[in-house]
Amino acid sequence: MAFDLTVKYAGEGGEGVISAGDFTMRAASNLGYEVVTFKSFPAEIKGGYALSQVRMSDEKILSQGDGFDILVAFNGEAYEVNKPLLRKGNVLIWDGPEGGDFEPDLEELEKMGVFVYAVPMSKLAKEEVGAYITKNIIAVASVFELFGFPIEVLKEEIVKKFSKKGEDVVNLNFKAIEVAQNYIKEHIKKVDPYKVPGPLPKKDVIILEGNEAIALGAAVAGCKVFAAYPITPATTVGNYLAPIILKTGGFVYQSEDEISSMAAIIGASFAGAKAMTATSGPGISLMQELIGLASMTELPTVIVDVQRAGPSTGMPTKHEQADLFAAALGGHGDDQRIVIAPKNVEENFYLTIEAFNLAEKYQLPVLMLTDGSLSLRAEAIPTPDIKKIKENLVERPVVRKEDVKPEELENLFRYAITESGISPVFVPGESPKPYTATGLEHAENSRPRTTPNERTVMMDKRFRKIARVEEENPHLVEWDLGDLQEGDKADIAVVAWGLTASIAQEAVKRLRDKGYKIAALYPKILYPVPKNALEKLASMADKILVPEASYLGHFARFMKMFTNIPQEKIVQFNIYRGEPFIPKEIEEKILELLGEKVSA
Amino acid sequence: MEYIRLQEKLPPKEYRSDIEPTWCPGCGDFGVVTALTKAFSEEKLDPAAITMTSGIGCSSRLPLWMNAFGVHTAHGRALPAAVGIRLAKPETPTIVTAGDGDIFSIGMEHFPHTARKNFDITLVVMDNRMYALTKNQTSPTSRYGYKGSLNPYGNIEDPFNVIKFAIASGATFVAQSYAGNPKHLAETIQKAIEHKGFSFVNVLSPCPTFNKIDTFKYYKGRLIDINKELGHDPSDMKAALELASHALDADYPELEDAEPFKGKRPIGIFYQVQKETFEERVAKLKEKYAPPSGEPDWDEILAQYRP
Repeated sequence: MAFDLTVKYAGEGGEGVISAGDFTMRAASNLGYEVVTFKSFPAEIKGGYALSQVRMSDEKILSQGDGFDILVAFNGEAYEVNKPLLRKGNVLIWDGPEGGDFEPDLEELEKMGVFVYAVPMSKLAKEEVGAYITKNIIAVASVFELFGFPIEVLKEEIVKKFSKKGEDVVNLNFKAIEVAQNYIKEHIKKVDPYKVPGPLPKKDVIILEGNEAIALGAAVAGCKVFAAYPITPATTVGNYLAPIILKTGGFVYQSEDEISSMAAIIGASFAGAKAMTATSGPGISLMQELIGLASMTELPTVIVDVQRAGPSTGMPTKHEQADLFAAALGGHGDDQRIVIAPKNVEENFYLTIEAFNLAEKYQLPVLMLTDGSLSLRAEAIPTPDIKKIKENLVERPVVRKEDVKPEELENLFRYAITESGISPVFVPGESPKPYTATGLEHAENSRPRTTPNERTVMMDKRFRKIARVEEENPHLVEWDLGDLQEGDKADIAVVAWGLTASIAQEAVKRLRDKGYKIAALYPKILYPVPKNALEKLASMADKILVPEASYLGHFARFMKMFTNIPQEKIVQFNIYRGEPFIPKEIEEKILELLGEKVSA
Repeated sequence: MEYIRLQEKLPPKEYRSDIEPTWCPGCGDFGVVTALTKAFSEEKLDPAAITMTSGIGCSSRLPLWMNAFGVHTAHGRALPAAVGIRLAKPETPTIVTAGDGDIFSIGMEHFPHTARKNFDITLVVMDNRMYALTKNQTSPTSRYGYKGSLNPYGNIEDPFNVIKFAIASGATFVAQSYAGNPKHLAETIQKAIEHKGFSFVNVLSPCPTFNKIDTFKYYKGRLIDINKELGHDPSDMKAALELASHALDADYPELEDAEPFKGKRPIGIFYQVQKETFEERVAKLKEKYAPPSGEPDWDEILAQYRP
């Protein structure tokens, strides 16, 4: 049995709950374990319920998991919120027996079989360390001491994080560690079975948060202009990118609003630069007209939408995947866009690069949908081979002065009608033939035209660009068939995208381990809909479950709209509570569809 | 950052595309096209290295008539698109051509920010004091009492003083000219292009089809050159703001004799100051942080993410 442990810190925002999780995650990764985090906090700067959860394993981790093994409750609210989730065999560490603001139902917990340890985190921080701010370090050190993490690793992390702030700060935190260690040694008798097995061979990994991976991906892809307006939960993409992009000769530009961001990346792209913006739902709504302009003028642009729960202001820090319609079809008129979605942090990195490649190749706006949970999720991913990635980047076909003979100029057109729909690109200062990119319908030579024939020819040309996207990019769907071969009969099929795909994948794996035959497909490309792959999958099963964290279930409806899969085969499973799925509920839904009894 | 320029002057007509303007005969905007081609010629600009942007409206079609690179964007978005060009290719001079409705109504949030950030952009607004392409509605610069199709009883708003606003926003070059004075217009636009930083030229440009008040006939004899006739020094911001405060006096009969313009419309350079441009500041940052090769040490960047 694999080692698989989840520690959850819960408390009030601003108390260091998030950094407690980060310390634990970094230490676990340092010891060679796989890590995946899940964090959630309110939209306000201070106060409100916050949680940080770290899952660690010696095997590949697919999702944040179903729950936790160890809960550290910083306050009464954190205890109350998590009480219904406590199960037999869990550990509860609470802020007591004195100095905290609550007392758990000790008798009840004992009856349930929960191991309870009282560590007076607030009191120790205040009285023994002399700084309440070290409460989270007491919590982390207690977890380290109780479950066998080497304390030196925590000390290393503290030095890394606080050395800039001076020796006093480092020493204060060291003191908190010592206080916690002493308290645990003197007062706590360990009765639970959890213990970290010890260090594993070190792996060549880097730790990235979701939005950090997007930023790094953009820099590696050669993004030179990033324009954005602050919006939760997308802001941090720019925060992370700002210092890196400067080193590549690029620039992060804060614009006056989202409309300006989109306009700026269109201008930058027109002038030859790879350009990108990152926003969230409300920003995508504002950008729609200009995304249409990028499509009409065939200017490569990358738009990241870190989705949040909508509509309107909705729940800015909460999870949802309900922007697919807006991303794919949100503009007026029939425009051409590509929409992709990564399922985990590693894909955030690689699909950002892919977004640029697709934009450059097909000369259109590419939208990448991630979400708030994924933006905060941290993972250790294999260190990318930057050199190799850079060798395979797609660059747009710019016509340069030196490549063209003067007599060829006359018949060289920016919007030349071609079989692929892809035309030569002209860039100011580089190409010999000026043109005006216009949002008006235009002819090959970019002049405004509205005759029925020219309009039809030009629409057909633009749509030809996206007609073969699936065929030309088979890597943009991930097949997960287990022992099945394509075309074999499965008990059931599953389709999931975005973060939900990583969670569905864990559910599928568990059921496969129990002997079920499941065919799954995790599309990274959502629009144009990968029709052939979906229809192939549909032929393998009578039912296709499509779990989505949105009320309407956008992709399931796309499957009904854009494929020939019989409607009755498609089973939607929708949640819209502001949290991601947990693997267990998808697992149970599959069993329910298979007519199996679900054990409580 | 120096602009890409030609060795030899091109004749002005070389800056025209072969597309015939769709404007009505007698439109003031023709004067702006002529002035732009003259200025481009004088500045020895390379048609293949000029960047223009525009929004939507009669005047915003202008880039299409030019032999230059252009983006004819969405309504109101010419300035932020120009900003993107500035960030990507500062060596191409960037000219924004727009109408009063496009810049001062739907695109209003962009004007003060682009101005105060001092992007090296030349903004030429063709101010016909109304919306023409949608067939006569009032714009932010329409006179009080002007009859548009949405307010047939006459405009109940006072017009927006764009000159005063531009100076207050931090524009480093603010001028007004007139479509019916080709010499003044071409010279003003050329000075605006020469100016390093955000330059704004408001061009009084009559719409012969709809605006029967602000006509060529009206403007005849009603213009006053603030630099030549009043001796205004553009480096004097206080004086510039004072003059700008009176820019719209001529709209009001009760101010017919008021100083300093006595019922006339001011043209000339109100304000000019040299300040570091946004592009220059970006270039400094890049110089400080980017290696000359443009390729950073990726191992060093990756190292910060290691556990």
